[in-house]
Amino acid sequence: MTLETSRRSFLKFLPLAAVFASIGGAAFRFLRPKLSAATNAWLDVASVSELSGPQPISRKIVAEQITGWAITTEEHNVFVLPAKNNQVVSAICPHEGCEVAWEQNRNRFSCPCHESYFAADGSRISGPAQRGLDALPARVQDGKLQVQYISKEQATRA
Amino acid sequence: MRSDNSLSAWLQTTTGIVVVLLIVQFLTGVLLAFYYVPSVDHAYTTVSYIEKVVSSGSWIRSLHHYGSQWLTVFVFIHLIRLFLDRAYSANRIQWIVAILLLGLVMAAGGTGYSLPWDARAFFSTRVAEGLMAGLPVAGGMARLWLLGGSEISGVTLSRFFALHVLVIPAVIGAVVVWRMFRAQIVEFVGPRDAIVGALVFLALALWALKHPAPFGPSVAEAGADYLPRPGAQFLWLYQSLKYIPGGLGSIVGVVLPGIVLAVLVALPWLKRQRLIAGSLLGAGVVLVVIMTTVSYLSDRRDPRTAQQFARQAAAEEAWRHQPFNPATITLATNTTNATASGGAPVMYTKFCANCHGAQGQGAQQGPLKFPPLLEVSAKPRRSVDDIVSLLKDPAAYGLQPPMRSFADKLTEEQMREIAEWIVKLRK
Repeated sequence: MTLETSRRSFLKFLPLAAVFASIGGAAFRFLRPKLSAATNAWLDVASVSELSGPQPISRKIVAEQITGWAITTEEHNVFVLPAKNNQVVSAICPHEGCEVAWEQNRNRFSCPCHESYFAADGSRISGPAQRGLDALPARVQDGKLQVQYISKEQATRA
Repeated sequence: MRSDNSLSAWLQTTTGIVVVLLIVQFLTGVLLAFYYVPSVDHAYTTVSYIEKVVSSGSWIRSLHHYGSQWLTVFVFIHLIRLFLDRAYSANRIQWIVAILLLGLVMAAGGTGYSLPWDARAFFSTRVAEGLMAGLPVAGGMARLWLLGGSEISGVTLSRFFALHVLVIPAVIGAVVVWRMFRAQIVEFVGPRDAIVGALVFLALALWALKHPAPFGPSVAEAGADYLPRPGAQFLWLYQSLKYIPGGLGSIVGVVLPGIVLAVLVALPWLKRQRLIAGSLLGAGVVLVVIMTTVSYLSDRRDPRTAQQFARQAAAEEAWRHQPFNPATITLATNTTNATASGGAPVMYTKFCANCHGAQGQGAQQGPLKFPPLLEVSAKPRRSVDDIVSLLKDPAAYGLQPPMRSFADKLTEEQMREIAEWIVKLRK
Protein backbone atom coordinates (compact mmCIF):
# COMPACT_ATOMS: atom_id res chain seq x y z
CA MET A 1 0.00 0.00 0.00
CA THR A 2 1.47 3.33 -1.00
CA LEU A 3 1.45 6.37 1.25
CA GLU A 4 -1.11 8.00 -1.01
CA THR A 5 -3.65 5.15 -0.85
CA SER A 6 -3.30 4.74 2.91
CA ARG A 7 -3.89 8.47 3.37
CA ARG A 8 -6.97 8.24 1.21
CA SER A 9 -8.34 5.22 3.02
CA PHE A 10 -7.87 7.08 6.31
CA LEU A 11 -9.68 10.17 5.01
CA LYS A 12 -12.44 7.93 3.73
CA PHE A 13 -13.51 7.06 7.26
CA LEU A 14 -12.91 10.46 8.82
CA PRO A 15 -16.65 11.31 8.83
CA LEU A 16 -17.39 8.08 10.72
CA ALA A 17 -14.61 8.89 13.18
CA ALA A 18 -16.37 12.20 13.83
CA VAL A 19 -19.64 10.35 14.59
CA PHE A 20 -17.90 8.08 17.09
CA ALA A 21 -16.00 10.96 18.64
CA SER A 22 -19.16 12.94 19.35
CA ILE A 23 -20.95 9.97 20.90
CA GLY A 24 -17.77 9.02 22.74
CA GLY A 25 -17.43 12.47 24.25
CA ALA A 26 -21.01 12.42 25.43
CA ALA A 27 -20.53 8.86 26.69
CA PHE A 28 -17.71 9.98 28.94
CA ARG A 29 -19.88 12.68 30.51
CA PHE A 30 -22.84 10.32 30.62
CA LEU A 31 -20.99 7.59 32.50
CA ARG A 32 -19.05 9.86 34.85
CA PRO A 33 -19.82 8.78 38.44
CA LYS A 34 -21.80 11.05 40.70
CA LEU A 35 -20.71 11.38 44.31
CA SER A 36 -23.26 10.37 46.91
CA ALA A 37 -24.64 13.13 49.04
CA ALA A 38 -25.12 12.21 52.69
CA THR A 39 -28.14 13.87 54.21
CA ASN A 40 -26.21 14.75 57.40
CA ALA A 41 -29.31 14.10 59.45
CA TRP A 42 -28.99 13.59 63.19
CA LEU A 43 -30.03 10.01 63.85
CA ASP A 44 -31.38 8.79 67.19
CA VAL A 45 -29.19 6.17 68.83
CA ALA A 46 -30.73 5.76 72.27
CA SER A 47 -32.13 7.61 75.26
CA VAL A 48 -29.26 8.81 77.40
CA SER A 49 -30.96 7.30 80.45
CA GLU A 50 -30.61 3.79 79.01
CA LEU A 51 -26.86 4.10 78.65
CA SER A 52 -24.65 3.03 81.53
CA GLY A 53 -22.12 0.40 82.55
CA PRO A 54 -18.59 -0.43 81.46
CA GLN A 55 -19.54 -2.40 78.32
CA PRO A 56 -19.94 -0.99 74.82
CA ILE A 57 -23.64 -1.06 73.86
CA SER A 58 -24.60 -2.19 70.37
CA ARG A 59 -27.18 -0.05 68.56
CA LYS A 60 -28.43 0.26 64.99
CA ILE A 61 -28.98 3.47 63.11
CA VAL A 62 -30.73 3.91 59.78
CA ALA A 63 -28.92 6.44 57.61
CA GLU A 64 -30.09 7.91 54.35
CA GLN A 65 -27.93 9.05 51.50
CA ILE A 66 -28.72 10.21 48.01
CA THR A 67 -27.09 7.68 45.72
CA GLY A 68 -27.74 7.99 41.99
CA TRP A 69 -31.47 7.96 41.38
CA ALA A 70 -32.49 6.88 44.86
CA ILE A 71 -32.42 7.87 48.48
CA THR A 72 -30.80 4.78 49.89
CA THR A 73 -31.72 3.82 53.42
CA GLU A 74 -29.14 1.60 55.03
CA GLU A 75 -28.83 0.20 58.49
CA HIS A 76 -25.52 0.51 60.26
CA ASN A 77 -24.26 -0.98 63.51
CA VAL A 78 -22.69 1.39 66.00
CA PHE A 79 -21.39 1.01 69.53
CA VAL A 80 -22.08 3.47 72.32
CA LEU A 81 -19.23 3.64 74.85
CA PRO A 82 -20.82 4.71 78.16
CA ALA A 83 -17.38 4.44 79.80
CA LYS A 84 -16.09 7.07 77.38
CA ASN A 85 -18.72 9.75 77.94
CA ASN A 86 -21.16 8.06 75.53
CA GLN A 87 -18.87 8.35 72.54
CA VAL A 88 -20.37 6.53 69.54
CA VAL A 89 -18.08 4.52 67.24
CA SER A 90 -18.89 2.92 63.91
CA ALA A 91 -18.80 -0.88 63.83
CA ILE A 92 -17.09 -0.74 60.44
CA CYS A 93 -13.49 -1.91 60.65
CA PRO A 94 -11.27 0.88 59.27
CA HIS A 95 -9.12 -1.76 57.52
CA GLU A 96 -11.32 -3.19 54.76
CA GLY A 97 -14.81 -2.43 55.99
CA CYS A 98 -16.02 -5.66 57.64
CA GLU A 99 -18.14 -5.32 60.77
CA VAL A 100 -16.44 -5.78 64.10
CA ALA A 101 -18.08 -7.68 66.96
CA TRP A 102 -17.74 -7.06 70.67
CA GLU A 103 -16.14 -9.97 72.53
CA GLN A 104 -17.33 -9.53 76.05
CA ASN A 105 -15.18 -12.25 77.63
CA ARG A 106 -11.98 -10.85 76.11
CA ASN A 107 -13.02 -7.22 76.52
CA ARG A 108 -12.18 -6.24 72.94
CA PHE A 109 -13.67 -5.68 69.51
CA SER A 110 -12.56 -8.18 66.89
CA CYS A 111 -12.88 -8.03 63.15
CA PRO A 112 -13.96 -11.35 61.59
CA CYS A 113 -12.13 -10.72 58.31
CA HIS A 114 -8.45 -9.99 58.94
CA GLU A 115 -8.03 -10.20 62.71
CA SER A 116 -7.81 -6.56 63.64
CA TYR A 117 -8.49 -5.99 67.36
CA PHE A 118 -9.68 -2.88 69.15
CA ALA A 119 -9.89 -2.02 72.84
CA ALA A 120 -13.13 -1.24 74.70
CA ASP A 121 -12.53 2.47 74.04
CA GLY A 122 -12.28 1.79 70.27
CA SER A 123 -8.53 2.29 70.00
CA ARG A 124 -6.46 -0.06 67.88
CA ILE A 125 -4.74 -2.99 69.62
CA SER A 126 -3.29 -5.04 66.78
CA GLY A 127 -3.87 -6.28 63.24
CA PRO A 128 -3.80 -4.73 59.80
CA ALA A 129 -6.13 -1.82 60.64
CA GLN A 130 -4.18 1.44 60.75
CA ARG A 131 -6.39 3.33 63.18
CA GLY A 132 -8.99 2.78 65.88
CA LEU A 133 -12.73 2.52 65.26
CA ASP A 134 -14.12 5.72 63.72
CA ALA A 135 -15.95 7.99 66.16
CA LEU A 136 -19.18 9.53 64.82
CA PRO A 137 -20.19 13.15 65.52
CA ALA A 138 -22.64 12.95 68.40
CA ARG A 139 -24.88 15.24 70.43
CA VAL A 140 -27.62 14.96 73.03
CA GLN A 141 -30.98 16.43 72.12
CA ASP A 142 -34.04 16.19 74.39
CA GLY A 143 -32.46 13.37 76.33
CA LYS A 144 -31.68 11.40 73.15
CA LEU A 145 -28.18 10.55 72.04
CA GLN A 146 -27.93 11.34 68.32
CA VAL A 147 -25.18 10.83 65.73
CA GLN A 148 -24.40 11.68 62.14
CA TYR A 149 -23.36 8.71 60.08
CA ILE A 150 -19.92 8.80 58.48
CA SER A 151 -18.72 6.03 56.18
CA LYS A 152 -15.28 4.48 56.45
CA GLU A 153 -14.22 6.22 53.22
CA GLN A 154 -15.33 9.62 54.54
CA ALA A 155 -13.45 8.99 57.79
CA THR A 156 -10.34 7.92 55.84
CA ARG A 157 -10.39 11.07 53.72
CA ALA A 158 -10.98 13.35 56.69
CA MET B 1 -21.49 -3.58 -8.03
CA ARG B 2 -21.11 0.04 -7.19
CA SER B 3 -21.29 2.44 -10.09
CA ASP B 4 -19.02 5.46 -10.07
CA ASN B 5 -21.40 7.62 -12.02
CA SER B 6 -21.62 10.32 -9.41
CA LEU B 7 -25.35 10.89 -8.84
CA SER B 8 -26.32 7.24 -8.83
CA ALA B 9 -23.31 6.51 -6.61
CA TRP B 10 -24.63 8.96 -4.01
CA LEU B 11 -28.04 7.34 -4.21
CA GLN B 12 -26.40 4.03 -3.32
CA THR B 13 -25.40 5.29 0.12
CA THR B 14 -28.53 4.09 1.93
CA THR B 15 -26.43 1.17 3.22
CA GLY B 16 -24.05 3.60 4.90
CA ILE B 17 -26.90 5.51 6.53
CA VAL B 18 -28.50 2.34 7.85
CA VAL B 19 -25.15 1.12 9.20
CA VAL B 20 -24.40 4.44 10.94
CA LEU B 21 -27.89 4.62 12.47
CA LEU B 22 -27.67 0.99 13.62
CA ILE B 23 -24.36 1.76 15.32
CA VAL B 24 -25.88 4.85 16.94
CA GLN B 25 -28.78 2.74 18.26
CA PHE B 26 -26.40 0.14 19.68
CA LEU B 27 -24.11 2.68 21.34
CA THR B 28 -26.85 4.84 22.83
CA GLY B 29 -28.77 1.73 23.90
CA VAL B 30 -25.74 0.38 25.76
CA LEU B 31 -25.29 3.77 27.44
CA LEU B 32 -28.94 3.96 28.53
CA ALA B 33 -28.64 0.48 30.04
CA PHE B 34 -26.02 1.84 32.44
CA TYR B 35 -28.77 3.71 34.31
CA TYR B 36 -32.09 2.20 33.28
CA VAL B 37 -33.64 -0.34 35.64
CA PRO B 38 -36.30 -2.61 34.08
CA SER B 39 -38.63 -2.85 37.05
CA VAL B 40 -42.07 -1.33 37.44
CA ASP B 41 -41.05 0.53 40.56
CA HIS B 42 -37.84 2.03 39.18
CA ALA B 43 -38.15 2.30 35.37
CA TYR B 44 -39.90 5.68 35.47
CA THR B 45 -37.52 7.03 38.11
CA THR B 46 -34.38 5.92 36.28
CA VAL B 47 -35.57 7.39 32.96
CA SER B 48 -36.33 10.65 34.78
CA TYR B 49 -32.84 10.48 36.24
CA ILE B 50 -31.33 10.04 32.76
CA GLU B 51 -33.40 12.97 31.48
CA LYS B 52 -32.77 15.37 34.35
CA VAL B 53 -29.56 14.50 36.15
CA VAL B 54 -27.13 12.54 33.97
CA SER B 55 -24.85 14.69 31.79
CA SER B 56 -25.90 14.45 28.12
CA GLY B 57 -28.59 12.01 29.27
CA SER B 58 -31.42 13.81 27.54
CA TRP B 59 -29.43 13.96 24.30
CA ILE B 60 -28.43 10.29 24.42
CA ARG B 61 -32.02 9.23 25.07
CA SER B 62 -33.29 11.52 22.33
CA LEU B 63 -30.73 10.10 19.87
CA HIS B 64 -31.99 6.63 20.72
CA HIS B 65 -35.67 7.60 20.51
CA TYR B 66 -35.58 9.53 17.23
CA GLY B 67 -32.78 7.34 15.90
CA SER B 68 -35.15 4.38 16.02
CA GLN B 69 -37.67 6.29 13.92
CA TRP B 70 -35.09 7.52 11.43
CA LEU B 71 -33.64 4.02 11.21
CA THR B 72 -37.04 2.61 10.28
CA VAL B 73 -37.47 5.23 7.58
CA PHE B 74 -33.98 4.67 6.12
CA VAL B 75 -34.26 0.89 6.18
CA PHE B 76 -37.46 1.32 4.21
CA ILE B 77 -35.82 3.73 1.74
CA HIS B 78 -32.93 1.28 1.48
CA LEU B 79 -35.43 -1.45 0.62
CA ILE B 80 -37.01 0.70 -2.09
CA ARG B 81 -33.54 1.44 -3.50
CA LEU B 82 -32.74 -2.30 -3.58
CA PHE B 83 -36.06 -2.92 -5.30
CA LEU B 84 -35.27 -0.33 -7.98
CA ASP B 85 -31.84 -1.96 -8.41
CA ARG B 86 -33.49 -5.39 -8.74
CA ALA B 87 -31.34 -6.61 -5.88
CA TYR B 88 -33.83 -9.44 -5.20
CA SER B 89 -32.43 -11.28 -8.18
CA ALA B 90 -28.93 -9.77 -8.34
CA ASN B 91 -28.04 -10.00 -4.64
CA ARG B 92 -30.47 -12.19 -2.75
CA ILE B 93 -28.76 -11.93 0.59
CA GLN B 94 -28.69 -8.14 0.52
CA TRP B 95 -32.41 -8.18 -0.28
CA ILE B 96 -33.38 -10.66 2.44
CA VAL B 97 -31.22 -8.89 5.02
CA ALA B 98 -32.93 -5.58 4.28
CA ILE B 99 -36.40 -7.08 4.80
CA LEU B 100 -35.39 -8.88 7.97
CA LEU B 101 -33.88 -5.62 9.23
CA LEU B 102 -37.12 -3.77 8.59
CA GLY B 103 -39.08 -6.29 10.66
CA LEU B 104 -36.47 -6.36 13.43
CA VAL B 105 -36.16 -2.58 13.63
CA MET B 106 -39.94 -2.27 13.90
CA ALA B 107 -39.96 -4.93 16.63
CA ALA B 108 -37.20 -3.10 18.49
CA GLY B 109 -39.16 0.16 18.26
CA GLY B 110 -42.35 -1.51 19.50
CA THR B 111 -40.74 -3.19 22.49
CA GLY B 112 -38.60 -0.17 23.35
CA TYR B 113 -41.63 2.09 23.62
CA SER B 114 -42.80 0.21 26.72
CA LEU B 115 -39.58 0.52 28.65
CA PRO B 116 -39.88 4.03 30.19
CA TRP B 117 -43.12 2.84 31.83
CA ASP B 118 -44.73 6.25 31.53
CA ALA B 119 -48.30 6.78 30.39
CA ARG B 120 -47.27 6.45 26.71
CA ALA B 121 -45.53 3.19 27.46
CA PHE B 122 -48.55 1.96 29.36
CA PHE B 123 -50.91 2.59 26.45
CA SER B 124 -48.41 1.21 23.95
CA THR B 125 -48.13 -1.98 26.00
CA ARG B 126 -51.92 -2.17 26.12
CA VAL B 127 -52.13 -1.89 22.33
CA ALA B 128 -49.46 -4.57 21.87
CA GLU B 129 -51.47 -6.74 24.23
CA GLY B 130 -54.64 -6.12 22.22
CA LEU B 131 -52.93 -6.82 18.90
CA MET B 132 -51.64 -10.14 20.23
CA ALA B 133 -54.99 -11.06 21.76
CA GLY B 134 -56.77 -10.40 18.46
CA LEU B 135 -54.61 -12.81 16.47
CA PRO B 136 -56.57 -15.66 14.95
CA VAL B 137 -56.40 -19.09 16.60
CA ALA B 138 -53.43 -18.50 18.92
CA GLY B 139 -54.35 -14.96 20.06
CA GLY B 140 -55.05 -15.81 23.68
CA MET B 141 -51.86 -17.82 23.93
CA ALA B 142 -49.79 -15.12 22.16
CA ARG B 143 -51.10 -12.52 24.60
CA LEU B 144 -50.21 -14.65 27.63
CA TRP B 145 -46.71 -15.29 26.27
CA LEU B 146 -46.13 -11.62 25.55
CA LEU B 147 -47.35 -10.50 28.98
CA GLY B 148 -45.82 -13.39 30.87
CA GLY B 149 -49.10 -13.77 32.74
CA SER B 150 -52.75 -12.92 32.57
CA GLU B 151 -52.23 -9.19 33.20
CA ILE B 152 -49.62 -6.52 32.41
CA SER B 153 -47.15 -6.67 35.27
CA GLY B 154 -43.50 -6.42 36.19
CA VAL B 155 -42.99 -9.68 34.30
CA THR B 156 -44.27 -7.96 31.12
CA LEU B 157 -41.77 -5.13 31.49
CA SER B 158 -38.95 -7.66 31.95
CA ARG B 159 -40.05 -9.48 28.79
CA PHE B 160 -40.14 -6.31 26.70
CA PHE B 161 -36.75 -5.41 28.14
CA ALA B 162 -35.22 -8.82 27.33
CA LEU B 163 -36.63 -8.72 23.80
CA HIS B 164 -35.53 -5.14 23.22
CA VAL B 165 -32.07 -5.33 24.77
CA LEU B 166 -30.96 -8.93 24.29
CA VAL B 167 -32.97 -10.88 21.72
CA ILE B 168 -33.64 -8.37 18.94
CA PRO B 169 -30.16 -6.75 18.95
CA ALA B 170 -28.59 -10.22 18.89
CA VAL B 171 -30.67 -11.20 15.86
CA ILE B 172 -29.89 -7.87 14.16
CA GLY B 173 -26.20 -8.46 14.86
CA ALA B 174 -26.40 -11.95 13.40
CA VAL B 175 -28.16 -10.69 10.28
CA VAL B 176 -25.62 -7.90 9.77
CA VAL B 177 -22.69 -10.28 10.29
CA TRP B 178 -24.22 -12.67 7.77
CA ARG B 179 -24.45 -9.81 5.30
CA MET B 180 -20.89 -8.66 5.97
CA PHE B 181 -19.40 -12.09 5.35
CA ARG B 182 -20.93 -11.95 1.92
CA ALA B 183 -19.49 -8.58 1.03
CA GLN B 184 -16.14 -6.93 1.33
CA ILE B 185 -16.25 -4.47 4.21
CA VAL B 186 -14.81 -1.72 2.01
CA GLU B 187 -17.54 -2.27 -0.52
CA PHE B 188 -20.05 -2.42 2.34
CA VAL B 189 -19.20 1.03 3.65
CA GLY B 190 -17.44 3.08 1.01
CA PRO B 191 -16.25 6.68 1.33
CA ARG B 192 -19.56 8.06 0.10
CA ASP B 193 -21.42 5.96 2.67
CA ALA B 194 -19.19 7.37 5.37
CA ILE B 195 -19.90 10.96 4.32
CA VAL B 196 -23.65 10.52 3.95
CA GLY B 197 -23.88 8.41 7.12
CA ALA B 198 -22.06 11.11 9.06
CA LEU B 199 -24.30 13.82 7.60
CA VAL B 200 -27.43 11.93 8.61
CA PHE B 201 -25.96 11.47 12.08
CA LEU B 202 -25.22 15.20 12.26
CA ALA B 203 -28.84 15.95 11.38
CA LEU B 204 -30.07 13.46 13.99
CA ALA B 205 -27.66 14.84 16.58
CA LEU B 206 -28.90 18.41 16.04
CA TRP B 207 -32.52 17.28 16.05
CA ALA B 208 -31.96 15.40 19.30
CA LEU B 209 -30.31 18.46 20.85
CA LYS B 210 -33.36 20.54 20.06
CA HIS B 211 -36.00 17.91 20.83
CA PRO B 212 -35.66 15.81 23.95
CA ALA B 213 -37.35 12.41 23.63
CA PRO B 214 -40.94 12.62 24.81
CA PHE B 215 -41.64 11.37 28.31
CA GLY B 216 -45.24 11.25 29.46
CA PRO B 217 -46.59 11.50 32.97
CA SER B 218 -46.62 8.43 35.15
CA VAL B 219 -49.78 6.38 34.77
CA ALA B 220 -51.07 7.53 38.15
CA GLU B 221 -50.62 11.17 37.20
CA ALA B 222 -52.08 10.87 33.71
CA GLY B 223 -55.65 12.11 33.75
CA ALA B 224 -58.50 10.45 31.88
CA ASP B 225 -58.04 13.05 29.15
CA TYR B 226 -54.42 12.03 28.49
CA LEU B 227 -53.86 11.39 24.77
CA PRO B 228 -51.10 8.91 24.00
CA ARG B 229 -49.49 8.66 20.58
CA PRO B 230 -47.10 6.00 19.30
CA GLY B 231 -43.70 6.75 17.80
CA ALA B 232 -43.71 8.16 14.27
CA GLN B 233 -42.88 4.78 12.71
CA PHE B 234 -46.14 3.36 14.09
CA LEU B 235 -48.50 6.25 13.35
CA TRP B 236 -49.77 4.45 10.22
CA LEU B 237 -50.76 1.47 12.37
CA TYR B 238 -52.29 3.67 15.05
CA GLN B 239 -54.37 5.53 12.48
CA SER B 240 -55.40 2.35 10.63
CA LEU B 241 -56.66 0.80 13.87
CA LYS B 242 -59.23 3.62 14.08
CA TYR B 243 -60.91 2.38 10.90
CA ILE B 244 -60.74 -1.34 11.47
CA PRO B 245 -63.48 -2.97 13.48
CA GLY B 246 -62.40 -4.67 16.69
CA GLY B 247 -60.66 -7.99 16.25
CA LEU B 248 -59.49 -7.32 12.69
CA GLY B 249 -56.86 -4.91 14.00
CA SER B 250 -54.49 -7.77 14.70
CA ILE B 251 -54.85 -8.96 11.10
CA VAL B 252 -53.86 -5.57 9.71
CA GLY B 253 -51.30 -4.76 12.36
CA VAL B 254 -49.54 -8.10 12.75
CA VAL B 255 -50.63 -10.81 10.32
CA LEU B 256 -50.61 -8.77 7.09
CA PRO B 257 -47.22 -7.12 7.67
CA GLY B 258 -45.88 -10.56 8.61
CA ILE B 259 -47.15 -12.10 5.39
CA VAL B 260 -45.82 -9.18 3.34
CA LEU B 261 -42.36 -9.53 4.91
CA ALA B 262 -42.41 -13.30 4.39
CA VAL B 263 -43.34 -12.92 0.71
CA LEU B 264 -40.62 -10.31 0.24
CA VAL B 265 -38.04 -12.57 1.90
CA ALA B 266 -39.08 -15.39 -0.45
CA LEU B 267 -39.03 -13.08 -3.46
CA PRO B 268 -35.69 -14.26 -4.92
CA TRP B 269 -37.29 -17.67 -5.50
CA LEU B 270 -40.59 -16.39 -6.87
CA LYS B 271 -41.65 -15.55 -10.40
CA ARG B 272 -42.97 -12.13 -11.42
CA GLN B 273 -40.68 -10.53 -8.86
CA ARG B 274 -41.07 -7.01 -10.18
CA LEU B 275 -44.85 -7.18 -10.02
CA ILE B 276 -45.12 -8.76 -6.57
CA ALA B 277 -42.53 -6.61 -4.82
CA GLY B 278 -43.63 -3.51 -6.69
CA SER B 279 -47.26 -3.85 -5.69
CA LEU B 280 -46.48 -4.82 -2.07
CA LEU B 281 -43.98 -2.02 -1.55
CA GLY B 282 -46.17 0.42 -3.48
CA ALA B 283 -49.21 -0.45 -1.39
CA GLY B 284 -47.05 -0.20 1.73
CA VAL B 285 -45.76 3.23 0.83
CA VAL B 286 -49.25 4.47 -0.03
CA LEU B 287 -50.75 3.07 3.18
CA VAL B 288 -47.98 4.40 5.41
CA VAL B 289 -47.80 7.84 3.82
CA ILE B 290 -51.58 8.35 3.73
CA MET B 291 -52.24 7.02 7.22
CA THR B 292 -49.34 8.94 8.76
CA THR B 293 -50.48 12.14 7.04
CA VAL B 294 -54.10 11.62 8.09
CA SER B 295 -52.97 10.98 11.64
CA TYR B 296 -50.99 14.24 11.75
CA LEU B 297 -53.80 16.19 10.11
CA SER B 298 -56.57 14.87 12.33
CA ASP B 299 -54.54 15.70 15.44
CA ARG B 300 -53.78 19.14 14.03
CA ARG B 301 -57.33 19.97 12.90
CA ASP B 302 -59.39 18.97 15.91
CA PRO B 303 -59.11 21.98 18.25
CA ARG B 304 -59.82 19.94 21.39
CA THR B 305 -57.11 17.43 20.52
CA ALA B 306 -54.71 20.23 19.69
CA GLN B 307 -55.47 21.90 23.02
CA GLN B 308 -54.94 18.68 24.91
CA PHE B 309 -51.59 18.14 23.18
CA ALA B 310 -50.62 21.71 24.07
CA ARG B 311 -51.52 20.99 27.70
CA GLN B 312 -49.51 17.78 27.66
CA ALA B 313 -46.54 19.51 26.09
CA ALA B 314 -46.75 22.26 28.72
CA ALA B 315 -46.96 19.66 31.49
CA GLU B 316 -43.95 17.83 30.10
CA GLU B 317 -42.02 21.08 29.83
CA ALA B 318 -42.93 21.94 33.43
CA TRP B 319 -41.88 18.45 34.52
CA ARG B 320 -38.47 19.01 32.91
CA HIS B 321 -37.95 22.04 35.11
CA GLN B 322 -38.92 20.32 38.34
CA PRO B 323 -36.06 18.87 40.37
CA PHE B 324 -35.46 15.15 40.12
CA ASN B 325 -37.47 13.19 42.67
CA PRO B 326 -35.42 10.21 43.86
CA ALA B 327 -36.85 6.83 44.79
CA THR B 328 -36.27 5.34 48.21
CA ILE B 329 -34.54 2.00 48.49
CA THR B 330 -33.61 0.12 51.61
CA LEU B 331 -30.36 -1.80 51.90
CA ALA B 332 -29.65 -4.50 54.47
CA THR B 333 -32.11 -3.15 56.96
CA ASN B 334 -33.50 -5.37 59.64
CA THR B 335 -35.67 -2.89 61.45
CA THR B 336 -36.89 -5.15 64.22
CA ASN B 337 -34.58 -3.60 66.78
CA ALA B 338 -33.38 -0.55 64.94
CA THR B 339 -33.96 2.96 66.10
CA ALA B 340 -35.31 4.52 62.97
CA SER B 341 -33.95 7.74 61.55
CA GLY B 342 -35.58 11.07 62.19
CA GLY B 343 -37.63 9.65 65.03
CA ALA B 344 -39.91 7.60 62.78
CA PRO B 345 -41.42 4.70 64.74
CA VAL B 346 -39.72 1.41 63.97
CA MET B 347 -42.94 -0.11 62.68
CA TYR B 348 -43.49 2.88 60.39
CA THR B 349 -40.05 2.30 58.86
CA LYS B 350 -40.82 -1.38 58.49
CA PHE B 351 -44.30 -1.23 56.99
CA CYS B 352 -44.96 2.29 55.73
CA ALA B 353 -41.67 3.91 54.70
CA ASN B 354 -41.22 1.90 51.51
CA CYS B 355 -44.23 3.59 49.96
CA HIS B 356 -44.74 6.80 51.94
CA GLY B 357 -41.04 7.63 52.31
CA ALA B 358 -38.76 7.37 55.33
CA GLN B 359 -39.93 10.80 56.51
CA GLY B 360 -43.47 10.64 55.13
CA GLN B 361 -42.47 12.54 52.00
CA GLY B 362 -44.36 10.17 49.71
CA ALA B 363 -42.91 8.34 46.75
CA GLN B 364 -43.36 7.55 43.13
CA GLN B 365 -42.93 3.95 42.07
CA GLY B 366 -43.44 3.65 38.34
CA PRO B 367 -47.09 4.25 37.63
CA LEU B 368 -47.99 4.18 41.32
CA LYS B 369 -47.90 7.41 43.25
CA PHE B 370 -47.87 7.15 47.00
CA PRO B 371 -49.22 10.23 48.72
CA PRO B 372 -47.00 12.18 51.10
CA LEU B 373 -48.15 12.20 54.71
CA LEU B 374 -46.79 15.66 55.46
CA GLU B 375 -49.47 18.03 56.80
CA VAL B 376 -51.96 15.18 56.57
CA SER B 377 -53.49 16.12 59.92
CA ALA B 378 -54.78 19.32 58.28
CA LYS B 379 -57.11 17.18 56.15
CA PRO B 380 -60.54 16.05 57.32
CA ARG B 381 -60.81 12.66 59.04
CA ARG B 382 -57.11 12.40 59.77
CA SER B 383 -56.90 12.71 63.55
CA VAL B 384 -54.80 10.20 65.51
CA ASP B 385 -57.92 8.10 66.12
CA ASP B 386 -58.86 8.33 62.45
CA ILE B 387 -55.42 7.20 61.32
CA VAL B 388 -55.53 4.25 63.72
CA SER B 389 -58.91 3.17 62.30
CA LEU B 390 -57.68 3.87 58.78
CA LEU B 391 -54.73 1.54 59.32
CA LYS B 392 -57.20 -1.19 60.30
CA ASP B 393 -59.68 -0.55 57.48
CA PRO B 394 -58.39 1.74 54.69
CA ALA B 395 -61.41 1.08 52.47
CA ALA B 396 -63.67 2.71 55.05
CA TYR B 397 -61.65 5.89 54.48
CA GLY B 398 -61.98 5.70 50.73
CA LEU B 399 -58.42 4.46 50.20
CA GLN B 400 -57.66 1.93 47.53
CA PRO B 401 -55.02 -0.75 47.14
CA PRO B 402 -52.05 -0.94 47.35
CA MET B 403 -52.91 0.64 50.74
CA ARG B 404 -54.02 -2.30 52.81
CA SER B 405 -55.18 -3.09 56.29
CA PHE B 406 -52.50 -3.51 58.94
CA ALA B 407 -54.92 -4.88 61.55
CA ASP B 408 -53.13 -8.23 61.54
CA LYS B 409 -49.61 -6.76 61.33
CA LEU B 410 -49.59 -4.07 63.99
CA THR B 411 -50.81 -3.91 67.54
CA GLU B 412 -53.16 -1.12 68.62
CA GLU B 413 -50.24 0.46 70.47
CA GLN B 414 -47.96 0.37 67.42
CA MET B 415 -50.66 1.90 65.21
CA ARG B 416 -51.16 4.67 67.74
CA GLU B 417 -47.43 5.31 67.86
CA ILE B 418 -47.34 5.60 64.05
CA ALA B 419 -50.43 7.83 63.97
CA GLU B 420 -49.06 10.16 66.64
CA TRP B 421 -45.85 10.51 64.69
CA ILE B 422 -47.63 11.07 61.37
CA VAL B 423 -49.88 13.89 62.58
CA LYS B 424 -46.78 15.83 63.60
CA LEU B 425 -45.21 15.67 60.13
CA ARG B 426 -44.72 19.09 58.55
CA LYS B 427 -43.39 20.13 55.20
